[in-house]
Amino acid sequence: MNSFEQVAHRGQRSRPGAGIYRWETIRGLAAALLVAAPVLLGVAYSVAGAVGLTGVGATGFALDRTRRVLSERVVWDSIAFTLWYSAAATALATAAAIATATMFRRGERADRVAHRLAIAPLPVPYVVAAAVGLLILGQSGFISRALYALGLSASPADMPALVYDSHGVGLILTLAWKEFPFLALVAFSLLATRAAALEEAARTLGANAWQAFVRITLPLLWRGLLPAVTAVFIFVVGSYEASALLGPSNPIAFPVLTLERYDALDLSQRADAYILGLIGMIIALIAIVLHEWTRARAERLRG
Amino acid sequence: MPSNTSRRAARRVIAATEIVLAALGAAIACSRDAPPPSSAELAAMSWNQIVAKAKGTTVTWRMWRGDPSINSYVDSWVAPRLKARYGITVNAVDAQGPEILNQLAIEKQAQRGAGSTDLVWINGETFYNLRKSGLLFGPWAGRLPNARFVDSSSAIIAHDFEQDPAGYESPWGTVQFALIYDTVRTPSPPRTVAELNGWIRAHPGRFTYDQSFTGVTFLNVLMYALNGGVQQFQGGFNEKKYAEGSGRVWDWLTALRPTLWRRGEAYPGGVAELHRLFANGEVDFSMSNNQNDVVTKVRQGILPTTARPLLLRDGTIANTHYLGIAANARNPAGAMVTADFLLSPEAQLQKLKPDVWADGTVLSMERLPAEWAARFRALAADIHSLPHDSLTKYARPEVAPQYHERLQSDWRKRIRANVR
Amino acid sequence: MDARQGGAATRVSSRSASRSASRSASKRASKSGITTRAKTLRYAALFALFASAVVPLALLLLWSVSGRWFYPSLLPHSLSVDGWRALAQSGQRLGVALRDSLVLAALDGVAGCAIAFPLGRSIARLRGHARYVAAAAVFAPIAVPPIAFGIGVQYFLLSIGLGSTTLGVLLAHLVPTVGYLALYFMGVFTVLDTGIEEEARTLGATALQVLLSVTIPILRRQIVEAVAIGFLISWSQYALTLTIGGGSVHTLPLEVFAYMRDGQGSFAAAAALLMIVPPVLLLLAAQHASAPLARRAVTHADVVPL
Repeated sequence: MNSFEQVAHRGQRSRPGAGIYRWETIRGLAAALLVAAPVLLGVAYSVAGAVGLTGVGATGFALDRTRRVLSERVVWDSIAFTLWYSAAATALATAAAIATATMFRRGERADRVAHRLAIAPLPVPYVVAAAVGLLILGQSGFISRALYALGLSASPADMPALVYDSHGVGLILTLAWKEFPFLALVAFSLLATRAAALEEAARTLGANAWQAFVRITLPLLWRGLLPAVTAVFIFVVGSYEASALLGPSNPIAFPVLTLERYDALDLSQRADAYILGLIGMIIALIAIVLHEWTRARAERLRG
Repeated sequence: MPSNTSRRAARRVIAATEIVLAALGAAIACSRDAPPPSSAELAAMSWNQIVAKAKGTTVTWRMWRGDPSINSYVDSWVAPRLKARYGITVNAVDAQGPEILNQLAIEKQAQRGAGSTDLVWINGETFYNLRKSGLLFGPWAGRLPNARFVDSSSAIIAHDFEQDPAGYESPWGTVQFALIYDTVRTPSPPRTVAELNGWIRAHPGRFTYDQSFTGVTFLNVLMYALNGGVQQFQGGFNEKKYAEGSGRVWDWLTALRPTLWRRGEAYPGGVAELHRLFANGEVDFSMSNNQNDVVTKVRQGILPTTARPLLLRDGTIANTHYLGIAANARNPAGAMVTADFLLSPEAQLQKLKPDVWADGTVLSMERLPAEWAARFRALAADIHSLPHDSLTKYARPEVAPQYHERLQSDWRKRIRANVR
Repeated sequence: MDARQGGAATRVSSRSASRSASRSASKRASKSGITTRAKTLRYAALFALFASAVVPLALLLLWSVSGRWFYPSLLPHSLSVDGWRALAQSGQRLGVALRDSLVLAALDGVAGCAIAFPLGRSIARLRGHARYVAAAAVFAPIAVPPIAFGIGVQYFLLSIGLGSTTLGVLLAHLVPTVGYLALYFMGVFTVLDTGIEEEARTLGATALQVLLSVTIPILRRQIVEAVAIGFLISWSQYALTLTIGGGSVHTLPLEVFAYMRDGQGSFAAAAALLMIVPPVLLLLAAQHASAPLARRAVTHADVVPL
């Protein structure tokens, strides 16, 4: 991502004729359209399903279903809850990644070990992370058993409810654990490639280490991490496995609510899922737009 | 100029690749389709002809695949015998009721000739919805040679949630709802719904029920018990009776809410999760749609060895699960032969064994040949299972499937979302 | 003030002891205290990282061989290899799921790379507004929630006969994969110095020759990397396989989830461990590759939260 803007001017070095340029534009846009085409197809079908034109139990064009779903409190609670745990988990993981990257950037043996350890859980899939989260954080999970063994608790009820809790604490911790290695990987590489030289330059110009960190390293890390942070956030908002295994029953995670309606015993509820799917897509779209806006603003500020 | 020409050529190569790759999917998509045999065609055949037609075919069987005991019975006992005796390959794929319905309904709407499914494991509202939407093949169940052994005098087998199977599904097994408790933790458990209420109040935080299928059956049991029995809900769905009956259930649950596990603010997702909470001492009761689940779950190490089933004396729901054939099945002949084998005394006896699945038989001891009846009776009762006579005594039939659907969706709206 | 002191501490801790030795005794005492504290913090962080990397996986391993294991026992009451045995038995669902997952992921990696390579190349040539429009379009398949997308296209795939088929699931997996990899190749081709290609053309090579003997060899590593990314995207995919596969297509993530949902802990753990193996191998391979490559991989792949 970062490389895109960096080298954006490079293609202009040998400027081809206007005709070729137009052909390249058309072809490039066509290629992009081809990549996005399946999604457009999905959106088209979802819209058709949402207004009752397709899907199981479709009864012809009507907007009252959309109106009903949008007026359900459960739906809005669900959206708010999903945005909350996704944002909290991403913020936690980002903070941990920045802290780890800055703490271990000297290239000594301990730093190299830290890098390896931080990245180690990277290959763990979300569904596995969720399984492990349940095993460790549940009220009868491993932490609870350790507390019992230490004499600090007498029954599962003494362990704070971290799983299925309405604040999603267990879900947030699990998701943050899963996101952390990826964000740490990006943070390490950002510091390795750019920060060192810039900070050195700042210090020769008289800044102390803290100033160099706050003025140079932190903004650089933040800007560099932003695409990854956005991607992780969007991914978590849409991901089903962890929220299904660790989330509470009220409020209910948005992907879980979507699939629940799609599989409802009551056939008349199934088209609700198309509307919820569209809402999910709109949330992702908003996140992308916000990200692009932040980036564009940062670039303008940079001059 | 050569560079320009070659660049254009390269572009053409790349563009062609794009088109070819994009078109590939669509091309493969349009290359297959075969009309399935019609039910009339099969009805005209003798059983031997059907068996001959089934030879060498594959039967795709959509079923719940969540229990290793059941999977092992299907994969390691049923499949090899079908292969050896009838040359049929069984392909068991995972799908529960709602997914089966989605799949078949969409296939029908998309007007695919032959579908992806032959045999389906169903009952209750799944059968109701499939039948209503014309997604089942039939009638065929009466044609199975082993159908003559079926205990059709039992109301619970002859009717599926008050519906007449009408030959569109063949019975496979029977189960009865039971609570599960631990003899060490709860030496004298409650025996009625009223006693259960008292027990829950006396032991705050130690009882809950799950959000899916088993939990809905529990709601159904409550609805019968709190409204003076099953009788008034029988005879089809009645909105007024439902409103009254379910109202008592919601009141009962709302009054108990603060004394439930997690103060009634969270519920386990499915019965397996409830089993886990029970086994680890987070709650003192679990439940199951199959009273014999305790037997297999103890053996699998999921439940403690001191777990026992418990029938509430107000009556608990017993039901039958069936096998259906998809209307757009590629291989209805193979599906029929498979269903017949599953109904055979040999397969039913194996299924009943506590160390296999412990699923109740649908066969009548009176109709079976004496030697088979003796073998069924000789099957030693497991200490974790309930005596047959008390099962029968407290068994209550299911009522119209709409009760089930409405209890689920209204529970989600009112109790789970905590809306008063 | 506090901030300055903290900064000084960091600086001092990274410098040689001889310099601090020249300072006054009192200052030295306070500073070495801070240094020790920084060091302690560093080791505490190192320990936390160690715990976060090792404990979950160790528990998973123990879980996969556990029989009965109830609260409050820290160790299983009994051991059982049922979870692993299910894997070894040929024709059993776990073995089949492993095979299907591997085949699907490999095909997804290769096909995704083959499709995204020319697309990314075309998109990389865009400039100005067209470039932003294209980038946004490419982002769509990455950002769309899999559940929403799966529900949306299920009907379409079923109507062309690809619902509940492995091919249908592969096509569905290809959607996010092509999105990620188009973005990846867009980056690659933006950075790629086209001079050498042009030189080859001036020397009389045909476009195909240039592609086969110049461009692809130059980008060999990136192509391998793209295949690996595609593999991992498919490998960890759950929601698309569930909705499009409709139960007929079984992959390991579905197995892990189903075992979890059905309370079969040791089976879930065995399947989960199995799921981790290929990504670990790929990660190790990436770490053994040259440092600049690994760095480049990261800067290009920083939108792929595997």
